[in-house]
Amino acid sequence: MDFAGLLTDAGRELFAPTTAAFALAAIGLNFHFGLTGLLNMGQAGFMLLGMYGYAITVRDIENNNGQFLGVAMSAGATVALGFLVAIVLAVLFGLLLGWPTLKLRGDYLAIVTIAAAEMVRFLGRSQSFQGLTGGSTGIRGKDFKGPFESLSPFPDRQITIGPFTMHGSVSTSWWLVIVSWSFVAVAALLFWRLSRSPWGRVLKGVREDEDAVRSLGKNVYGYKMQALVLGGVIGALGGVLWSFGNAVAPDSMGRPTTFWIWTLLLLGGAATVFGPILGSALFWTALVLVKGLAAMFIPATWLAPTQLEPFSLMLVGVTLMLLVIFRPQGVLGDRRELAINDR
Amino acid sequence: MRAALDTRAIVRAGVILVVVALAMTLYSAFIGNAGSDSSRAISAAGATTGTISTTAINEAPIAPLSEASAVTGVATATDPTPTHVNRLAQNVVNGVTFGLLLALASVGLSLIYGTTGLSNFAHGEQVSFGAILTYFLATSDKVSLPLIPKEFTIGLPLVVAAILAVIIAGGSGWLQDKFLWGPLRRKRVGVVQQMIVSIGLSLALVNLLQWWMGGRKMRLTTSIDTRHHWGGIEISNQTIISMVIAIVCLLAVSWFLLYTRLGRATRAVSDNPSLAAASGIKVDSIVRLVWILAAALAAVGGILLALYEQATSFDAGSRMLLLMFAAVTLGGLGQPFGALVGSLVIGIVVEVSTLWLPPDLKFATALAILIVVLLFRPQGILGRPERVG
Repeated sequence: MDFAGLLTDAGRELFAPTTAAFALAAIGLNFHFGLTGLLNMGQAGFMLLGMYGYAITVRDIENNNGQFLGVAMSAGATVALGFLVAIVLAVLFGLLLGWPTLKLRGDYLAIVTIAAAEMVRFLGRSQSFQGLTGGSTGIRGKDFKGPFESLSPFPDRQITIGPFTMHGSVSTSWWLVIVSWSFVAVAALLFWRLSRSPWGRVLKGVREDEDAVRSLGKNVYGYKMQALVLGGVIGALGGVLWSFGNAVAPDSMGRPTTFWIWTLLLLGGAATVFGPILGSALFWTALVLVKGLAAMFIPATWLAPTQLEPFSLMLVGVTLMLLVIFRPQGVLGDRRELAINDR
Repeated sequence: MRAALDTRAIVRAGVILVVVALAMTLYSAFIGNAGSDSSRAISAAGATTGTISTTAINEAPIAPLSEASAVTGVATATDPTPTHVNRLAQNVVNGVTFGLLLALASVGLSLIYGTTGLSNFAHGEQVSFGAILTYFLATSDKVSLPLIPKEFTIGLPLVVAAILAVIIAGGSGWLQDKFLWGPLRRKRVGVVQQMIVSIGLSLALVNLLQWWMGGRKMRLTTSIDTRHHWGGIEISNQTIISMVIAIVCLLAVSWFLLYTRLGRATRAVSDNPSLAAASGIKVDSIVRLVWILAAALAAVGGILLALYEQATSFDAGSRMLLLMFAAVTLGGLGQPFGALVGSLVIGIVVEVSTLWLPPDLKFATALAILIVVLLFRPQGILGRPERVG
């Protein structure tokens, strides 16, 4: 019964880079769903595309001895270029997705986004693009993490702060914690300012009653498109940060990942500034706690260690159902603010 | 909506073609990768980690796409040997088989959409459930139930197990409607909210199935299949039986929908629920019937698919879900016969595309078709033109 160890693990999840990456992806989804009412079921596709864009760009520059089109690149410039490619890809993907579907009913967008996200995954894991994307094994961390880790101001060793020990700058590191939470802070600030701006008020109008906004002479299609692209870009950045702590693996960005993002967004409270962040922290902490407690209290004859993962993810699914039925506004949300309806 | 193609549609088609052409150029560029050092380094790395190179996966090396498009629809050169398999014909047959099985699964999805307006994301799990339940009842291996630390063997004959599984699956549809969807409809919960609930249900069920059976591949039958060769195609006994059962089921469903009072009532609810209710049709009991029918048909589809692919697993159905959505959307949301047409199209396209594209891109092709169809005819092939935006 190692309660202290379990609590430490759960506490680490509160600020882990993965939590931040998912919070970022959920903030993106919050622009789609919370603000505009768009049913984007392909957020994992945006994330995967972002990490491919970053990892492939950086890997090729690295393999080219730090040369890009004959120009020597510093580590900082390489990282910046990688992020830029990720953003451009997400913008293009958003435009491509939104263009046929944003004129249609909400569930069409849901089906198309989920299909497009799966397409990205299938293409990524296909043998045919082995040279580009690394097929189903993906791209290993050491091929693209170098420039980002070399930017770290922290020493190259394990650092212990309180009960938590992490490496200074490699992979899931204190450096990554600081960078990813800074991203989350900026995105949350962006959401806070934009949702109160005239632009954000139009989006909320679109969410509540599209036709009313259209009758005021607003270009609803254009506004929806802007929201889709902006949220998708934030999702792609989340994907890049996630890959810094793990690696680029197409199968980790399948449909379940999108559904987790939805769950944690609805858990924290859609259409709120801190909802995605709180939801992500609660989600990952709860997952660790559930697994740990189940391993402690349910005898192995009833629940084998291999069954812990599906058991806890089953609870995630049940949580999502109960949330939507009984408390669609989540922990922080406002019921009047969030009428899930057909848009 | 049914008007001639307007300029916008032509522009869209042009852009799509350009994108596809770009994708193809990229693709051929990477197929013939004698190119950059990075790709060579990666493939070398891949070789050390034990991934298989592309040529090992396909028996024949893939023709470059530019040539392939020139010979579209032309059968590949025939081999003089009598046992030669004509790949195009073979793939069309496989496609029709796969399409029929897909149709079994998607008809229910389409009926549910038509009568309730719900895009049920948990339908894929209904498909897996039928197959897994059959395995559970028929296998001679030891099986157990979740949380019950006792192993046992049921070992019924396959046919009995399959029939039982379909009945139980139909019961699961009834349960779902009685305790989940019915109350939600009465609470006047919106369709979109219900859709997100179905996503949660799908996540819960797929993990429940994995918890129950683990990640292993399950074979419903251990008998060796006999294969027949007829005029350049190869077809196995199991495939023939699957096809016959699928056709019989689909004909039965069609007959039910077209010529029985209940079926006519179902179509009426699908067309216009409030009008149906006003004409004295009990909408709620019709919807419940549709749920039972859909779950049972999905189970039949799952069992036959497991026979056709020779194994099933906990995620067999969820991998099919998007193909089902593609088929249903292609045929026209809420049109049961549209689902049939759409499934056949998707099935044939998926199988025939492997002539020119690597097999691991099968599903991506089907999803691409879905997106292209939505560009031109959002209401699908047989869908009624209505304003969907």
